[in-house]
Amino acid sequence: MTSRKEHSLKRRDLAVNKLTSLGDRIIEDVAKQTVPAIRVPSRGTSNIVYDEDRRYYVLGDRYGQRSLGNVKQIKKIGQMVYMANFCKGLVQTGKTATLREMYYVSEGWDIDFGDQQESNIVGEDLEVTLGITREDLGLMPEEDGASVYGDITLKDDDVEINAMRMGKSGYTISPTIDEVELLDHNVERVIAVETMGMFHRMVQENAYKKFNTLIVGLKGQAARATRRFLKRVNEELGLPVYICNDGDPWGFHIAMVIISGSAKLAHVNHELATPNAKFLGVTASDIVNYDLPTDPLKDIDVLRLKELYKDPRYRDEFWKVEIKKMLKIGKKAEQQSFSKYGLEYVVDTYIPEKLDSL
Amino acid sequence: MEREASELFEEFKELTASEFFRRNKQMLGFSGKIRSLTMVFHELITNSFDAAEEAGIQPEISIDLKRVDKDHYILKHKDNGPGIPENYITKVYCTMFAGSKFRNIQSRGQQGLGCSGCVLLSQMTTGKPARVISGYKKGDVIKGVEMTFKMDVKTNKGLILNKKKVDVDSTGVAIELQFKDVSYSLSEQGAFEYIRRSMIANPHAKVTFRDPTGQLFIFHRATEIIPPLPKEVLPHPKGVTADDLIFMAKHTDKRRFRSLLTSSLSRMSTKRVNEIEEITKIDLNKRPKDMKWEEAEQIVELFAQMDFMAPPTSGLIPIGKEQIEKGIREILDPEFVATTTRKPRTYRGGVSFIIEAGIAYGGNSGRVIGDQKRSEIMRFANRVPLSFDQGSCALTEALKSIDWKRYGIRDIENTPITVFVNIVSTNVPYLSTGKQSVAPEDEILHEVRQATMKIARSLQKYLNAKRAAKEEEMRSKIFETYVPVILKEAAILSGRDVPEYDYILAKVTRRPKILEEIDNETLQELTNDNMVGDKDDE
Repeated sequence: MTSRKEHSLKRRDLAVNKLTSLGDRIIEDVAKQTVPAIRVPSRGTSNIVYDEDRRYYVLGDRYGQRSLGNVKQIKKIGQMVYMANFCKGLVQTGKTATLREMYYVSEGWDIDFGDQQESNIVGEDLEVTLGITREDLGLMPEEDGASVYGDITLKDDDVEINAMRMGKSGYTISPTIDEVELLDHNVERVIAVETMGMFHRMVQENAYKKFNTLIVGLKGQAARATRRFLKRVNEELGLPVYICNDGDPWGFHIAMVIISGSAKLAHVNHELATPNAKFLGVTASDIVNYDLPTDPLKDIDVLRLKELYKDPRYRDEFWKVEIKKMLKIGKKAEQQSFSKYGLEYVVDTYIPEKLDSL
Repeated sequence: MEREASELFEEFKELTASEFFRRNKQMLGFSGKIRSLTMVFHELITNSFDAAEEAGIQPEISIDLKRVDKDHYILKHKDNGPGIPENYITKVYCTMFAGSKFRNIQSRGQQGLGCSGCVLLSQMTTGKPARVISGYKKGDVIKGVEMTFKMDVKTNKGLILNKKKVDVDSTGVAIELQFKDVSYSLSEQGAFEYIRRSMIANPHAKVTFRDPTGQLFIFHRATEIIPPLPKEVLPHPKGVTADDLIFMAKHTDKRRFRSLLTSSLSRMSTKRVNEIEEITKIDLNKRPKDMKWEEAEQIVELFAQMDFMAPPTSGLIPIGKEQIEKGIREILDPEFVATTTRKPRTYRGGVSFIIEAGIAYGGNSGRVIGDQKRSEIMRFANRVPLSFDQGSCALTEALKSIDWKRYGIRDIENTPITVFVNIVSTNVPYLSTGKQSVAPEDEILHEVRQATMKIARSLQKYLNAKRAAKEEEMRSKIFETYVPVILKEAAILSGRDVPEYDYILAKVTRRPKILEEIDNETLQELTNDNMVGDKDDE
C-alpha cells in the first residue's frame, strides 16, 4: 500500500494535469482555427439520476456549453480559466484557499465575479468539467468537520494524532482530510451520532470501550470532510459505519446523505457517499417499541416525510415501512429521549440491542 | 321717482367696434401678461407672412423687443412685404373689421381684428401713439411714408398726429408700438416659443429677433419655396345654414334662385336642383329675393339628407411633408424626423380639411424641464401655432389616445420627442373665440391618430435599428475585451505561447474589417430612408 503522502502527491499531479489540459484544449482549438468551447456536465435536477448499482446519485450525460463565441458564455469560460490558473498555483505549492478567499483574489482579475455565489458556481463548473473534487483543486470549505473520539491514529503532515488523546471533545476532522494518512487503529466499528449532546453522552458512558468503536459527532448535516472521513474509514480500514440520529425526517436524511450522497453534489458523490453505512435509529418502530417521549409531527415534517417516501434513495422496504409508520403514528422523537430510562440506558440497552438486530 | 322712457333712452349709445373691444380686450386674446404679448407677436407675424406671400415675396421679418421697465416694452416689427399705401395705413391699423379675409378661404388670420387690436392694446396700456414707416411701389417708384397716429375708439378711425415723406430702400412695413402690462417669457406660451414654432410651420420665412436681453436670434430660411396662395372655394351644401342662403339671396346678381344655388355652392348640379325642387315643391325659378326663411330652412334640411360629392380640396394648401421636415430640421436639429401629409377629408359632411404630422426625436426635440427632457406637442392650424388651451384641444386628445408603447416608446412623457400636428382647412372648427383649440370632430381625431401612428412606426423602426446597432457594438466590445485576456490566461494554464488569434476574434465578433464599414453604411441608409415618412398608403 502506497503511503498517504505518495497518494496525495499522485492526486496533486492528477489535478495539475487536468487543469493544464483545460488550457491545452483552448489553445489547440485556437491553433486549429475553431472557436474554443468547453463542455460542462449539466447540474440541473433533470440531469441528476440515481445509480442503482452504485447506490448513490450521479450526473447524467447532458452537457452545457461554455463557448468563446457566445456573448453570454464567454465571461463564464474566462472565469473558469482564471480560476483554473489560480487552483493550479494552489495545488503546485500545496496550499489551500477557501471559496471566500478565492472570491477576494478574483477582484484582481481582468474578468471578475459579480458576487461570491457566482464564483461558487464557476467552482462547481470546474469540478464537474475536470471530474475532480474541489478539495483536489485546493479549494476548502470554511467549516470544520465532525468530532471523532476513539482509538485511531492519524498523520497530518508530520504530526501523529491519536483521537483518544485529544481531550473529551476528540479530534476535529480537518477540511484537508484527504491529505491526512490513516496510520493505525484499534477499533471494530464506527458509530456516528447527530448531536454533540449524544457524542458526549457516549464518551462519558465509555461507549468506545464497550463497543470498541469510534464515536463521531456529526453536528447536524455532515460536512464534506466528515463524509470523506467516513468513506475512507469504511473503505480503507474496512470498518462498518453505523449512524444514530433523531427519529424524524431530518435525522433520516442526515443518515441518507452519508449513505447515498446528495443530489446537489452528484458530480462528486463517488468521493463522498458511503453506501455500506447503516442506519441504526431512531426509527418509528423504536418510538413504539421503546415507548419514547414524543412530539407530534409538524406540517413541514409530514411534507418532508412524503418527499422522502418518493425519493429513490428510500426505496428499500425498511425505509418504506418506517416512513409509513411514522406518518401513521404522527410522532417523532429525539435521540436524547432515551434519558427517560436513565442517562446510561442508550449505551447499556438501546445500542447493544440495535447492533445485535442488524 | 319714475322716469320716462325717453329720459332713459338719452343714455342709450351706439358702441363702435373699437369701443367694444376696448372694454372687452380679452375677446381679442389679450388676457394675461404673457398671453397678451404672444398674441401681439401672432398678429404682426401672421400679417407680415400673409402680405408677403400674396405679393409673391419670401417673407423676412425682423423683430426687436426692448424692455423699458417691469412689464413695459417697446416693440419694433419690420417686414419685407409689399407695404401699405399711405391712404390705407390708418385703415389697416385703426379700423376694426377691415381687411381682405371675409371669404371662404384658408387663411392664417383671424377676423380682421389683428393689427388694429395691437394698436388698441398699446394705446390702452401706455397712451402712446403708434409709429409706422411704409415703403410701397407706385408704378416703378418706391414711395416711403412715416406716420404717427392714434386710434379714435369713438369713431373706429385713425387720428394722424404726424406724417412725412421718407426715403426707403425697399418695400415693407415697420411698426413701433409700446406696451405695458405685458410680459416676455420663455415658457411654452411665451412669445419666443411662438416664433420658434412659427418657423417650423413656415420654413420659407426668415426671422431675426433681438430679445430684451439684447441677444440676437436668427431663424434661417429652410426652403426657398413660397407656398402657393390658397384659392377661394364655394361653400359645400352641407356646410351652409338657412341664414347663409338668405344672405346669399340678398346679395346676388342672379335672377333666379336656381342659378344662385348652382353658382354659389360647390357640388350643386342642375340635376340636384331639380331633385330639390321635386321634393320640396318650392318654385326655384323665382327671384332670389323672394325666397322665404321657412323655404330656406326646408332646403338646408334636405341638403343634410342628400348625398353630395365631397367638397373640392383645391382650396387647401398643406405645408407638405418635405417642407415640414425642413422646418423641423432647421429648428430642432433632431436625430430622426418623420413627417406625413394626409389626403383631404371632410368633417360634418361638408368641410374639408387636411392633417399633417411630424415626429422629431433627439437633438433639440422635446422640452427641457429641470434637468430632464420631456416630450412636447406642437399644435398648428393653417400654419399658425396654437399656444393656449392645449388640454381641451382635439389634436392633443388624439395624440394622448395613442398607445405609444406599441411603437417602442415606453415612457412618452419623458422621451425627447416633439410631435407636430397641423390642421389645414378653410374652416377650422375652433372651440372658442380665442381660436386656440380645435373641436373634437370624429373625423379630425381619426386623421390625427392615423397620421401620427404612421410616422410613429417609422420612428419605431429607427429606434429598433439604433438599439440593434448599439447591442452589436456592445457585443463586439465584449469579445474584443475578453478574447485576448482569456487566451493569455489559457496559455499560462497550458504552459504554452499565446497563439495567433485574429481569425478567431473576427469569427466570434462576426466583424471583419470590410464588413464593419458596410454595417455603418447600411445603418446610415436606414436613418436616411426614414427621415421622411413613407408614401401614404390608404
